[in-house]
Amino acid sequence: MKKISRRAGFALIIAAALILGLALYSVRLFNDGDDWVMLRANQSVFKDGVLDTGMVTDRNGVVLARAGNGVFAYADDASVRIACLHAVGDYAGNFGTGALSAFDDELAHYNFFDGVATLSDGGGTVRLSIDSALNVAALNALAGRRGAVLVSNYETGEILCMVSTPAYDPNSPPELEQPAYEGVYLNRALNATYAPGSVFKLVTLAAAIENVPDIYTRSFECQGSVRVGGDTVNCTGVHGAQTIEQALANSCNCAFSELSQELGADTLEKYAKQLGFLDSLDISGIETAAGSFEKAEAGTSDLSWSGIGQYNDLVAPIAVLRYVSAVAAGGTVKEPVLIKDRKGNETKLLEYSTAAKIGEMMSYNVSYSYGTWRFPELDMHAKSGTAELGDGSSHAWFAGYIDDDEHPLAFTVIIERGGGGLANAAPLANTVLQAAIK
Amino acid sequence: MEGFIESVSVYLAKPEFTGALGIFLGYLAYFSRYMLPIAALAIISRCVRSMLAESYEPEVWAYLDLPGGLRVPLRHFECTVGSAKSSDVVVQGARVLKTHLVLIRDEMGSWRVYALGSDAAAGINGVVIPDEGAALQDGDVLTVGNKDMRFFNLTESERAIIAERRTAPGKTISPYAMFSYVAIFQIITWFQQFYYAAPENRGSITLAFLALFAAMWIYFIVMRAMGRTGFEVEAIAFFLCTIGMSVCASSTPRNMLKQVVLLLAGIAAFCALGSWLRDLKRVKKLIKPAAVAAVLLLLINLALGTEYFGAKNWISIGGISFQPSEFVKIAYIYAGAATMDRLYRGRNLLMYIMFSAICVGALALMGDFGTALVFFATFLVISFMRSGSIGTVLLAVTGAGLAGFLALSVKPHIAQRFAAWGHVWEDVNGAGYQQTRALSAAASGGLFGVGAGKGWLQTIIAADTDLVFAIVSEEMGFLVAVLAVAAIIVLALFTVKNAAQGRSSFYVIAGCAAVSMMMVQLGLNVFGSLDLLPFTGVTFPFVSIGGSSLISCWALLAFIKATDTRKNASFTTRDGGKMRDRNEFTLRRERYMGADEQTEFGGYGDYDDYGDYADFDAGVSPFVEDDRHYLDGKSKKRRRGR
Repeated sequence: MKKISRRAGFALIIAAALILGLALYSVRLFNDGDDWVMLRANQSVFKDGVLDTGMVTDRNGVVLARAGNGVFAYADDASVRIACLHAVGDYAGNFGTGALSAFDDELAHYNFFDGVATLSDGGGTVRLSIDSALNVAALNALAGRRGAVLVSNYETGEILCMVSTPAYDPNSPPELEQPAYEGVYLNRALNATYAPGSVFKLVTLAAAIENVPDIYTRSFECQGSVRVGGDTVNCTGVHGAQTIEQALANSCNCAFSELSQELGADTLEKYAKQLGFLDSLDISGIETAAGSFEKAEAGTSDLSWSGIGQYNDLVAPIAVLRYVSAVAAGGTVKEPVLIKDRKGNETKLLEYSTAAKIGEMMSYNVSYSYGTWRFPELDMHAKSGTAELGDGSSHAWFAGYIDDDEHPLAFTVIIERGGGGLANAAPLANTVLQAAIK
Repeated sequence: MEGFIESVSVYLAKPEFTGALGIFLGYLAYFSRYMLPIAALAIISRCVRSMLAESYEPEVWAYLDLPGGLRVPLRHFECTVGSAKSSDVVVQGARVLKTHLVLIRDEMGSWRVYALGSDAAAGINGVVIPDEGAALQDGDVLTVGNKDMRFFNLTESERAIIAERRTAPGKTISPYAMFSYVAIFQIITWFQQFYYAAPENRGSITLAFLALFAAMWIYFIVMRAMGRTGFEVEAIAFFLCTIGMSVCASSTPRNMLKQVVLLLAGIAAFCALGSWLRDLKRVKKLIKPAAVAAVLLLLINLALGTEYFGAKNWISIGGISFQPSEFVKIAYIYAGAATMDRLYRGRNLLMYIMFSAICVGALALMGDFGTALVFFATFLVISFMRSGSIGTVLLAVTGAGLAGFLALSVKPHIAQRFAAWGHVWEDVNGAGYQQTRALSAAASGGLFGVGAGKGWLQTIIAADTDLVFAIVSEEMGFLVAVLAVAAIIVLALFTVKNAAQGRSSFYVIAGCAAVSMMMVQLGLNVFGSLDLLPFTGVTFPFVSIGGSSLISCWALLAFIKATDTRKNASFTTRDGGKMRDRNEFTLRRERYMGADEQTEFGGYGDYDDYGDYADFDAGVSPFVEDDRHYLDGKSKKRRRGR
């Protein structure tokens, strides 16, 4: 009998296996539960594959979208719905980087402790850093043109304004199969890349400040064009002898051709990469489009053009915003975020002295070249860009920041095929910033 | 009955929870989620403390006086004598076999001795013990090899005193409290179901929970009135059945009445099998018929079965459909367990292997590979317990592995399940359909669930049987789901602990086999749905919806209950008062009306003081020569202490 009794211990092996299995499952649940919950078939979170819980508001609590029990609603105001379309996305899931898709896990409000159960039964609330009123102002300023407007607080990293056009009212979607709505699902602010044009001179400038010893004493000659490797690099005018400050303010192609040749493709690429133009950025978990910089052969005009933001250069508007934010903040950027009160990490992009110098020159741009009258009551630091597309049209860029303790705002404006940057993008930036500092 | 349910349903469907009441009930439902695991934990910890913490006192049924003057108590209904250290009575000497004699006591208190092996060196009173064994009388001399021993049965008064002294469960841990916790768990679960249910289902849900509640308390009160004391096993079953009732309310609220009827049938099966198991003599008579019945049932199933979800394991008779394999489980364990005399006298294991092969083969033919696997695992447990040979077990596993490969190549849907295993997230709407939904819903519930009756997973096909762990996780939370698994593990610990005191190998083997079967089934069900094992689709004991399964689980529980040897706790034990009425003792009283039996003595004391019998060796006696005197002193001391 004693023998048999001892053999009963066999059952304990099975019991141990059960405990082991449960332990393994617990670990998996702890690690992967948040992913499991987001299965489209999970009816606690989705209805017919559509997110059915949670609420998205702007930074002031204005409801931008809310869902529950099969009822989906967007903002009450039509212009808010249009202006925030790309920031919020839609319940059909057409906008991959909209809050409804990008932050669906927060809207589902999963945590290991309570699962998705909440007392109010309404899921989670995502409070975007966006100011919907500012978005409306930007949308109005775009006035039907395609493009993107970004405004952020460079001290906190919060993106206050993010508009991409074309956009539409999600409550009454138009016929989207027409040319006017081409690429409508793309958030141009984050996920499109454009030729940067002269805005890229800020990158070449950063490389030059740190690598060209006599940068501040040298005189840059401009005769209206310069011959490089058998080709001609044209300038916007005949600028004569200039300091580097004047060369930037004139956006002188001759001067930046000279610097590009001197720095070389490797250094230019290094700076483009270091300043965040070549990698996909992480904006509160949203992956942005990575830009590109093709290294041209030394001594060719291609190399000159690549330092001027033409050739095959491509950048995402958000990367430009991040760079000018870094300049505004003394070289160390607060990473841009889209959720209120969720401060971004800090990343050092530039030496303080470099950033300060670039900032100075961006201010000089305005006073020397653009005209302070364009930006009443704004201590504007900026760089315009007009990216030639080779078909006679060009993208209009304007990027920079205002030096204002109360309103530490950085901005980037791009208008697709919008003509000259200063003529078209700068007034738009002014309009939005005026709305922002009110 | 129908009319009554109808009117209750209509009455309860009316109120709408709006305004302040609605808010209050909403809060109550939300915060009661946190109470559920607390109540469940209270139930389990009560049961654990009651079953595992209370020390059992060893029983003594007779003595053997060894040549050295050593008196060894026989502490089981079945004892082995031999030179092996693992023998119950170790005797070393020339020509003593490792296991030489088996002494077996019957329910009436008379003993028989059986000699093992063909060696003629085993005798009783100088005569060779015949094959069919010999009855033992007080003072009989047993001979093994060159050693003589004397057998003494217990006297009636000794017997009565032992019965008196045996630990009765429930003294330190009150069974009332245990059932009260189960009741609290039931009430919370009912409230959540009631609150979240569609109004038209409130009536049937309420009545069913009321019936469960009443069934539990009536069972308890009736058993209590009959003098029973141990209720942990039943409390665990009622706890699991409450969860099962909740799953039913979520998935098929119209079947609540059916669920109640099945529960009552299960309890009846539990009581019936339990009482039947009390008498080993009649139990033994039914072993062969049980095996035959099992085979017949499976053959009928094969011939007349209905196919359902790819497995032909259902029979429909007159509108009632059931799964014969669930009932075969009971017969399989019944036929697999054996008393010691059979165990040691060869050939039985071979018969059992053939019987097992038929059962597993028939199930495989039906396409019910999950159940076939459960049977096979149970076969391993039983054959190990019977033979003690790891080699046999490994051989069987190898054989089964080969058979498994064959099954994989023949049955494509089995191979598919293996292929999907571990890759369910790569095909969420195909091979991983059920598992991904189970994981998603289970995670959604967090630790406390979204609320009983508020989940959605039951809408997935067959979820209320195959994915119950996830349904429970989703609605009642991960903690309650884990505690449901823990409940079965506690049953296993209980069974193993009882095995040390086991009276007959039949109870020990049957109990261990039953609890192992439950655990294997549980493991396949839970881990299959969670993608830790291939998906097999067997049931979660007591919780999965399914009448046959529920009844079978209660019946299997009787085997577990039967291992309990505490006083008045189980079916297999009787109180001393009833024992005294037995003829055998009356006879003995007439024969041994000697002076010493009639003198007052305090009975047996704390046997723990005797030390460990496992290392018992002839010549080193922990006993005082006159142990009655010794015991007398001990017990007096103890009595004063109380």
